[in-house]
Amino acid sequence: MAAANPSIFLLMVNGQVESAQFPEYDDLYCKYCFVYGQDWAPTAGLEEGISQITSKSQDVRRALVWNFPIDVTFKSTNPYGWPQIVLSVYGPDVFGNDVVRGYGAVHVPFSPGRWFMGRRPEYTDPKVVAQGEGREVTRVCSQGFVTLLLSVVTKDMRKLGYDTGPADTRGVPGPGLPQGVPR
Amino acid sequence: MAEVHVIGQIIGATGFSESSLFCKWGIHTGAAWKLLSGVREGQTQVDTPQVGDMAYWCHPIDLHFATKGLQGWPRLHLQVWSQDSFGRCQLAGYGFCHVPSSPGTHQLDCPTWRPLGSWREQLARAFVGGGPQLLHADTIYSGADRYRLHTAAGGTVRLELGLLLRHFDRYGVEC
Repeated sequence: MAAANPSIFLLMVNGQVESAQFPEYDDLYCKYCFVYGQDWAPTAGLEEGISQITSKSQDVRRALVWNFPIDVTFKSTNPYGWPQIVLSVYGPDVFGNDVVRGYGAVHVPFSPGRWFMGRRPEYTDPKVVAQGEGREVTRVCSQGFVTLLLSVVTKDMRKLGYDTGPADTRGVPGPGLPQGVPR
Repeated sequence: MAEVHVIGQIIGATGFSESSLFCKWGIHTGAAWKLLSGVREGQTQVDTPQVGDMAYWCHPIDLHFATKGLQGWPRLHLQVWSQDSFGRCQLAGYGFCHVPSSPGTHQLDCPTWRPLGSWREQLARAFVGGGPQLLHADTIYSGADRYRLHTAAGGTVRLELGLLLRHFDRYGVEC
């Protein structure tokens, strides 16, 4: 089947939205969705989801853990528009209404392997967070940190002439995390 | 023709004395390079960090180049500015870095500098704000007239850039 349509390659992403650190907020849930270019289409799995509500742990870590699974496969003819995961974190305000606590986006890694990444959601407009244009007029306060653990597998990229570099199992370090966390 | 995809983010900036920061970025390439998809320049949002000193932008970069030669490998140039509560902008630093040349994901820390000016201008900047700026942005990434400048260090911009190369092995190029 791959030989009949040699111009398509596949990208499979699985992993989890692991946990968050938000010093000022508690009882949070997150939504994830994927944003991608016109040459991309999901072929399997879910491209969006909503997690459970989690409260800070009682121990000294004060961790907010979701352990929320991500499992999706994309097909594409062009790396332009490489998928980004957009995360939105929500929590209750004083009156009990759900308000957004932050948005963040990160490109899906393109070297095969396991990646441990931290991202800092900021307060800005939805879906704009995945685009570069139009951000000049927004002011944000960054106030929290979400950790994602992702595994990536690609198919037929090398056949089409793409070199994605070495498969890397070291993580992308964020503040407070040790450099190069092997998993 | 060989193709290069630059996919990544301008993550943020740290080490600047000012706090509400934004970044104007652009990519400069040589004559043999052609931009097929993506925007060549842009500007991030303004970030005021509530926790810690690092301003986070997470500004996505997705560029697709085709090239006939190795000369003029892409260079990313940055201008970090701060914005105060009145909406006035002040230069915090200029910096540039080459886009990496080996495929895969790279963490880059780009140092920045800002022109100092005379002692009068430095005094005025401390009290009133403002300060000298470059007339031509290409001095940021070229070495030509740098000897005329006296500069001071700014903070560091952190980037994560992934590089995807296509058909480089057909032309015998090793990366």
